[in-house]
Amino acid sequence: MKNSWLIAKRELIERLSNGAFLWMLFIGPLISLFLIYLLFKAGDEGKASLKILIVDPINLMDNKIVAQEGKTIDYYFTDKYIEVEEFRNAKKYQDFDALMEVNEKILINKKAFVFYRENPSPDLKMQLKFQLERRVEEVMIEEFTRLSVDEFRQIKQPLNVDFRNVYDPKNESSDMEGWVGFVFGAIIVLFVLLFGMTILRSTTREKSNRIVEVLLASVKPSQLMLGKITGIGIAALIQIFGWTILISLGLVIFRETIFPDMLDLSNWEGIQVSADVQQQIIDSTPVGRYNQFIELIYERINFGYMLAHFAILFVLAYYFYGAFFSAIGATAGTESDGQQFLFPVIFILGFSLYAGYYAIILPDSSFTQWMQFIPFTSPVVVMVKVAQGYPNGTHYFAIISVLILAISSYMFLMIAGRLYKNGILQFGHHLRIKNILAWLKKS
Amino acid sequence: MLKVTEITKSFNRKFALDAVSMQMNKGEIFGLLGPNGAGKTTLIRIINQIIQKDSGTIHFDGKLMTEEHLRFIGYLPEERGLYKTMRVLDQLIFLAQIRGLNYSDSKRNALHWLEKFDIQDWSKKRIEELSKGMAQKIQFIAALLHEPDVLILDEPLSGFDPVNVELILNELKSLKEQGRTIILSTHNMRSVEEICDRAALIHQSKKIAEDTIWNLREAQKKGEFTIRFKGNMIAFANALWIGFELIEKKEIGEMRYETTVKMRGGNKIDDLLKSLMGNVEIEAVEERYPSMQEVFIELTQRKEVEDEK
Repeated sequence: MKNSWLIAKRELIERLSNGAFLWMLFIGPLISLFLIYLLFKAGDEGKASLKILIVDPINLMDNKIVAQEGKTIDYYFTDKYIEVEEFRNAKKYQDFDALMEVNEKILINKKAFVFYRENPSPDLKMQLKFQLERRVEEVMIEEFTRLSVDEFRQIKQPLNVDFRNVYDPKNESSDMEGWVGFVFGAIIVLFVLLFGMTILRSTTREKSNRIVEVLLASVKPSQLMLGKITGIGIAALIQIFGWTILISLGLVIFRETIFPDMLDLSNWEGIQVSADVQQQIIDSTPVGRYNQFIELIYERINFGYMLAHFAILFVLAYYFYGAFFSAIGATAGTESDGQQFLFPVIFILGFSLYAGYYAIILPDSSFTQWMQFIPFTSPVVVMVKVAQGYPNGTHYFAIISVLILAISSYMFLMIAGRLYKNGILQFGHHLRIKNILAWLKKS
Repeated sequence: MLKVTEITKSFNRKFALDAVSMQMNKGEIFGLLGPNGAGKTTLIRIINQIIQKDSGTIHFDGKLMTEEHLRFIGYLPEERGLYKTMRVLDQLIFLAQIRGLNYSDSKRNALHWLEKFDIQDWSKKRIEELSKGMAQKIQFIAALLHEPDVLILDEPLSGFDPVNVELILNELKSLKEQGRTIILSTHNMRSVEEICDRAALIHQSKKIAEDTIWNLREAQKKGEFTIRFKGNMIAFANALWIGFELIEKKEIGEMRYETTVKMRGGNKIDDLLKSLMGNVEIEAVEERYPSMQEVFIELTQRKEVEDEK
């Protein structure tokens, strides 16, 4: 065990003193934060305020739009018909950001055109749409009914059919949360692949430069293999820990400085709506979805709980797949020889991502139920399930998955240890399945 | 110190070692000789427990050898390598530690050997910055760092220039004087003659000889004598009769010759000297022993002939 630790320590020091590792430690989170920033920013980009000229030749809207007009959109009315070309070029219209055409057809086909000079932000588009819709609605009530506006709006409430899982009647889980779990699972796959490749390279390099014989005179092949996987695994954990700290720090900075108010709907001036309408807005607009994402990141995900599961699943998945990479490296005849045997492993890792995606779309399907227990796919699927939330009393599924993965990892380490022992001192051959089978049979 | 008994190992149903036995005594330099593919490296790997034997036993210092004994063995494999990006001192410390030394002893010993070889300036260099010969020295030091009782060196002189060969040979002699047992697998027969006390020859997976270097050479001597004389070569040749054969002659000065004469028909050197006296002035007479190179070739060829029969 002492020798395994010495091997692990050497591997760890080698990784930590590697420039690429340090770059990855900082560049990875920075790129992730940049992508998150772009995602946040997408909900907040475009012009901050609008000055709109409404062309209303039949005075349908009676020069009124929404009782409380916000500061972000200023409406001006004209009963003169204006061509788009004129609006675009005439000096007197240059102060207006957009031209909106309203005529009697809007009451029938519910369609209006807005010609903008610069694409407004999704926020402003949503406000404009909402305010116009409310005004048109008032006109229609007056034109076609004898009801008051309030009475009409009472009746107009759409029928909301909400499909809910019997195991989750409060609808606490959602696709979005599943996606967060998927991202965690994908990080496991990414790091297993990246550091698995490191195990493979490190093993084949030790073989090709022949230091392996010096090492094997002092340590058992299984100790060497375990030390190597562990050392590189600790480096991977440090990398993940660094990523977690830096990305968390970045998210806090985003929340405190760059996007302090994005989540607060009351900040959307000019909109006084009920909670139901707010939810409709959230569900039906890209802005709403972006802000749902922000809410998800900052409010709904229990990162402590997720990270605890992530750490356990990562370690087990890493040993499980690390054993593969190690065995391939040890049995390969040359450094490039092992590449052909990587394809099945990469395919399986890719399949585990598909299984995770499937778990988001159909969390209760029998396929998902099976995939959460199969060690090849369980790291991703369990992360998705954990993020979605196990229905009450079924969290033991996660424990069973972890136990199966742990036992499988141990078994694969044993099998890989045998291949490692019998293959590590074989040089210059072309690795074939028959070699692998022969070395597996050999004690 | 190390006793190998009836070791057998086969790969794919082909014998790499066939009931090989030998004994390496404490404080001796033991030559492990044999042509390429004879089974030397397999035997060394079995002793180092890198590969498992099919049958046979190995005793270390009178006890059945276990994994625990490995820390008393230093090993320099033929196909050796180092971590290219690691610094020399770090590498030596690491290799000493996996042989059981603690960090401080590893560092102290590493610095001691670097200083002894006058290469302390290399301690901060990465292996990739060193020449092949320099790296060989580091590998040699790595095998000694944990002060092993038994040192197994597989072709330790390959890659060294003559100056460094001398340095390594002197170091091996010094280690022998300290009571260390050294197993030397090499094709360099000059060094075997120079420093080995005993040797074993393995050929085609079997041991075909084991003895002291002197006995091995003596066993292969052919009754040839080197005679240096002053006088007339014709007179010398005429003095030889049917009981002697002139194998070789070389003029080494004016009327001075060095010749090799082989005894025949049970004649002895005394008979030759009696015959020559009065004809030439004899300056020196020495029985010619075959070199280890000749012993090696003779024994391996003889074995091949025997096998063919």
